[in-house]
Amino acid sequence: MNGALRIAAEEWRYWLRSRLAVSAILLMLIVVLAAVISTVSRMQSEADARRTMQDAAEKTFLAQPDRHPHRMVHYGHYVFRTPAPLAVIDPGVDPLTGTVIFLEGHRQNSATFPAAYTAPQVAGFNALTPAFAYQVLVPLVLIVIGFSVVSRERELRTDVQLSAQGLNSVSLWLGKSLALVSLSALLLVPLVGGALYALSQGAAGVAVVALIGSYFLYLAFWSFAIVGVSARAKSSAMALLVSCVAWMAIAVVIPRLVSDLVGAIAPVTGKIESDFALIEAMRDVGDGHNAADPAFDKLRAELFNEYGVDKAEDLPVNLRGIVAEVAEAELTDVLNEFADARMQEEAAQATLARNGALLSPMLALRNASMQTVGSDLGNYHRFLHEAEDARFEFVQGLNRVHGSELSYIDDINRNKDEASGLRARVSADNWRVLQTFDFRPAAPAERIGKAGIALLILALWCVGAAGFAYGGLRDSEGRFHAV
Amino acid sequence: MSEPLIVADQLSVSRGGRQVLDSVSFSVKHGDIFALLGGNGAGKSTTLLTLLGLITPTAGEARINGVRVHDNAAAVRQTVAYLPESANLYPHLSARENLDYFLALANVAQSNADVEKALDRVALASEARGRSLAGYSKGMRQKVAIALALLRKTPILLLDEPTSGLDPVAVDEFNGLISALSQQGTTVVMVTHDVYGACHVARSVGLLRRGRLVATFDAPEGQHFDAETLHAAFVNRDAA
Repeated sequence: MNGALRIAAEEWRYWLRSRLAVSAILLMLIVVLAAVISTVSRMQSEADARRTMQDAAEKTFLAQPDRHPHRMVHYGHYVFRTPAPLAVIDPGVDPLTGTVIFLEGHRQNSATFPAAYTAPQVAGFNALTPAFAYQVLVPLVLIVIGFSVVSRERELRTDVQLSAQGLNSVSLWLGKSLALVSLSALLLVPLVGGALYALSQGAAGVAVVALIGSYFLYLAFWSFAIVGVSARAKSSAMALLVSCVAWMAIAVVIPRLVSDLVGAIAPVTGKIESDFALIEAMRDVGDGHNAADPAFDKLRAELFNEYGVDKAEDLPVNLRGIVAEVAEAELTDVLNEFADARMQEEAAQATLARNGALLSPMLALRNASMQTVGSDLGNYHRFLHEAEDARFEFVQGLNRVHGSELSYIDDINRNKDEASGLRARVSADNWRVLQTFDFRPAAPAERIGKAGIALLILALWCVGAAGFAYGGLRDSEGRFHAV
Repeated sequence: MSEPLIVADQLSVSRGGRQVLDSVSFSVKHGDIFALLGGNGAGKSTTLLTLLGLITPTAGEARINGVRVHDNAAAVRQTVAYLPESANLYPHLSARENLDYFLALANVAQSNADVEKALDRVALASEARGRSLAGYSKGMRQKVAIALALLRKTPILLLDEPTSGLDPVAVDEFNGLISALSQQGTTVVMVTHDVYGACHVARSVGLLRRGRLVATFDAPEGQHFDAETLHAAFVNRDAA
């Protein structure tokens, strides 16, 4: 072990005496630090803005005067998707997906205003998130610094000298890998800083540890892979070339190919196509605004029977409110059926894409990272579900107020005379049916559980790379070319 | 009668389909200096690397102090210091840093005074010792490598072209150093194509040609080899 530590320390001394290595390390630290600061600032500002707007939307809704409850159903309400605290490291799908949904009766509106549409995001620097920097750029710097970590010894023939001192391939493997892994750890410092900031903003400690661990595993994979390529390549130039080709494949080409392939294998139904089918299906549901709609004949008959009356005016409840409630429930079933089908298609696509982790450790990290943070597609779907639950609850709450607090006679005459119109209003206290909407990511254990497979695959990549490096050094031990 | 300290027994090495060593046998007694002479590509360095356990023989075996080298190469390397042909040191480190690093890897504890003393013995200028080896001449680097071999304080020295790059004065000093070490009990195997150098220090000489040990000579008791005679034998054998 002492030999390995000494080799690692010597590698560091070599780097620190190399202007190229020092410049590359400093440059990369500046880049990742800039990415962390920029993303922390942006995501924090997004989170603050969405929380403020959520609060304002609720206050505005509750501040509405006494009104007919159905007017409030159409007045509607906004719910905002607040990003997870750890999104300061990996915003995931956040910038590309809608941040706000307008909730109203009879409709499931799409989430709108993705953060990427805002002017500063379009300007470009938003792409440089810590996640991107660590997934794509940092491995390249590790390659630039470490490609000759073993091949250099062979070219200088110091490998013979090392072996002559009794050093074995295990110590060399450990030492060279330790040097690059410790460099990776140094480069992770800005990410750790960002994660600790997220911790102070409410991120769960276990998720912070899991996130840092996943990035460490990924960079350890690269460290081992670079040592392995350097040990097996015939020259440093060849080691650099092979490592760069591997980086290109792992970090650029395979993720793109997987994405295109998944899109072709499991396409998601287009929005327009889906909306036409939804409109078609909704034709079978009665009009909740019209209590005389034949679609509600059975409901009307059941109510008359239940209360022993033969006309709506004699019912102790407002038939229009009851019809609105039942119609909303039926309509929501149809809307949910289509929404669930679409989300299932998207989820199936995401599941298929996650298999790409077997082809590229970067995809394994990307999966683990977004799932641990709570910025993956699944989290977005949770938002859509929670928003729909909130919509259904507040609309039905108002429909129940409509059915129980409002006289049917006043309701049907509200536009005929002013007195009826005034009586067809309910107290603004009823707007409190609206629940406070506070979207938060899933529990840390659930997120880490979902990320478990990706983390396992990442660990396997790491172990594989470690074996590749060890095998390369063991093979090169007897590769002395003296004659 | 005990076995000689170093034994090469029918050593054969094939690399890339080529026979680099072909049934090479020799032995070196405790405290002796054995010089292996041969032209370029004769298999001299391969012989040393095989004795060090860095190359596995395809047939035969090497034994050091009765231990089969390939059964316990790590233990053998603790008793052997090796001087490679081209110094093989780090150009970004100074002489002191190189020595400190390699000695640490060999688990040899040496004080700064020991290091300075070794560098004195190889006559490396003191003002050069703190400078990186990138600015050293070949001879200066060779002196650092010799110092490393000396600092290992092992009972066996394997030297590959040890005087390569040294000026005549340094060669004389080196030969004196090796003779002194031999008298103190250190066993030396050196490979060289410098016939005259070998004559000054070696007690026995082997001639290696195309991987075969074609002849061995022992110096007359208490005398050096006659350089002209050995040179003639070397040239004749080489021409054969």
